[in-house]
Amino acid sequence: MARYGMALDYKNCINCKACEVACKEENGVLMGADKHRIWVGVNEISGEYPLLDIVSHSFQPSQCQHCDEAPCQMVCPTNATYYDEFHVVRVDSDKCILCSYCMNACPYDARYVDDRTMTVDKCTFCSDTRLARGETTTACQNTCPTKVRTFGDLDDPESEISELLRTREHFSLKANLGTKPKLFYLT
Amino acid sequence: MKIGPLNIPLREDFSLKSILNFEKTPVNMLVAVSVVAMLAMLVIGVSLYLMHGHHAYNVTREHPWGLLIAVYIFFVVSSTGFCIVGSLGDVFGFKDFTMISKRAIFGSIVTILAGFTVIAFEIGHPVTMMIYNVLSPGLTSAIWWMGTLYGLYLTFMIIEFYFLLNNDMKKAKIFGLTGLLVGLAAHSNLGSVFGFLNARTISQGVFYPTYFILTAFITGIFLSFIIMGFRYKLNFNEKTKKLLEGLAKIQGLLISILIFFVTWKLLTDMYGGMPNRAEVAEHILGSGSFWTEVILAMVLPLLIILKDFGKSPVLMFWASLSGMVGIFFMRYNLVHDTQLKPLQMMKVREYQLPPEWIHYFPSATEIMISLGGLGLCVLLYYVGTKAFNLDEEEGH
Ligand code: SF4
Ligand code: SF4
Repeated sequence: MARYGMALDYKNCINCKACEVACKEENGVLMGADKHRIWVGVNEISGEYPLLDIVSHSFQPSQCQHCDEAPCQMVCPTNATYYDEFHVVRVDSDKCILCSYCMNACPYDARYVDDRTMTVDKCTFCSDTRLARGETTTACQNTCPTKVRTFGDLDDPESEISELLRTREHFSLKANLGTKPKLFYLT
Repeated sequence: MKIGPLNIPLREDFSLKSILNFEKTPVNMLVAVSVVAMLAMLVIGVSLYLMHGHHAYNVTREHPWGLLIAVYIFFVVSSTGFCIVGSLGDVFGFKDFTMISKRAIFGSIVTILAGFTVIAFEIGHPVTMMIYNVLSPGLTSAIWWMGTLYGLYLTFMIIEFYFLLNNDMKKAKIFGLTGLLVGLAAHSNLGSVFGFLNARTISQGVFYPTYFILTAFITGIFLSFIIMGFRYKLNFNEKTKKLLEGLAKIQGLLISILIFFVTWKLLTDMYGGMPNRAEVAEHILGSGSFWTEVILAMVLPLLIILKDFGKSPVLMFWASLSGMVGIFFMRYNLVHDTQLKPLQMMKVREYQLPPEWIHYFPSATEIMISLGGLGLCVLLYYVGTKAFNLDEEEGH
């Protein structure tokens, strides 16, 4: 079985936010600023004139990290949050009781409440939309004009993402927490 | 009253009339009117919640736990506290404390019922919870353990209370001890709900699971003064004075330990300026609600105890009221402070999110449901005093 992950060549991001729109469109995410599965973060120039650190300025697209050791899954009292067969972290809305524990436990603020089901929602790597239709890309990846995102099977040595991770230096967010994210930032 | 094989010794004069029949002193009238008002708020609050769901609350993506979680904690800590105090006499055999056992165990039942009522309107799907807690238990979840153990605990407390009513001290002791152990386990699991949040360095760690037990004991003693104060209208007899003096002395020790705990917690939080932790601790130190907690729940009661080593039960009654307000702030602070620091390290300016601290203030609906929980708790307790003989039976 595949083990999905995503590599982000984040320095290519131009903050057009097309991925945010595509995600909402594809996955029917409700309108509203705090209803989002993915986002583009902005790291502003740090330092004070004249010692400005210009390279610190970057755009950092992000979303659920699909942690291999996901705190959100550990804390879920009803196992509503689970790993599917592709190691994608998912929420079963029938089982979610909206205790909000996962929202507090996720170190990446990747979860929000979907007002229609009144349960917690998050990025699914388009599992029940694009992937279910047999496509092999996610909406955010597909739409990105500068091709920041590469989605694929981490266990397949031939996959594009494996190739990237083998040949490019990369880091993950808050790696010190031991969550083993499957989102990789290429440097 | 007999229900099947069960024999529940109700007071002979218990009826709707006896419930409405109380001495019409100004204090009693004030309490009665407040309780009715609080119950009305419960109805309004719950209706608003049923109409608007969580939109009636001020909880957000960044601050998903609000006032109702704090109030739930407040009630279950009270329950555990009552249970500890109740157990002193009837489980551990400290004779001076036996006279409060039945009343305290009854208190532990009503407070946890109030807590469950409040949390039912915070959890989005309480019925689903009962189903899937059993069908697909999340055994690594502190919330699962806490909820399940508290359910068990309530059962044991009810059974213990039944045997206390029937003067079957041996069985009461067995169920009391089991209930106490399950209650303590449940309670420290509640602490671990916060202690396990690795992403929230201000709460993460062993502190809360242990501190919860300590503060439960303290809460139980404050509440004992309050219920005994009402029982004897502050006119304590010798036996009660002895009981309260003993409790006050224990309280002095416990509050001192608590001050010690909190001081070291804050010092270690700040030491070395660890990012995400030190600045939160400094923020807490600068907040009014923290100092309210310290003054009302720790400093004032401790000073009054130290004045004459717990020999002024009437003053202690007032100090305990202040203590309980302080304990409420303690719970609120715990919940709020855990969520103070925004997690999104990447989203510095995204959607103009508050860059520094997450703000939260409870909505009217949250406040109404919380006060409603308090009203319900007082009402249940009052009905209990009319229905059962909560005093120690003569000859025991
Ligand atoms: S990023 Fe958050 S929501 Fe996603 S798997 Fe990790 S802990 Fe869970
Ligand atoms: S809110 Fe839902 S998914 Fe999250 S921990 Fe609670 S039950 Fe699990």
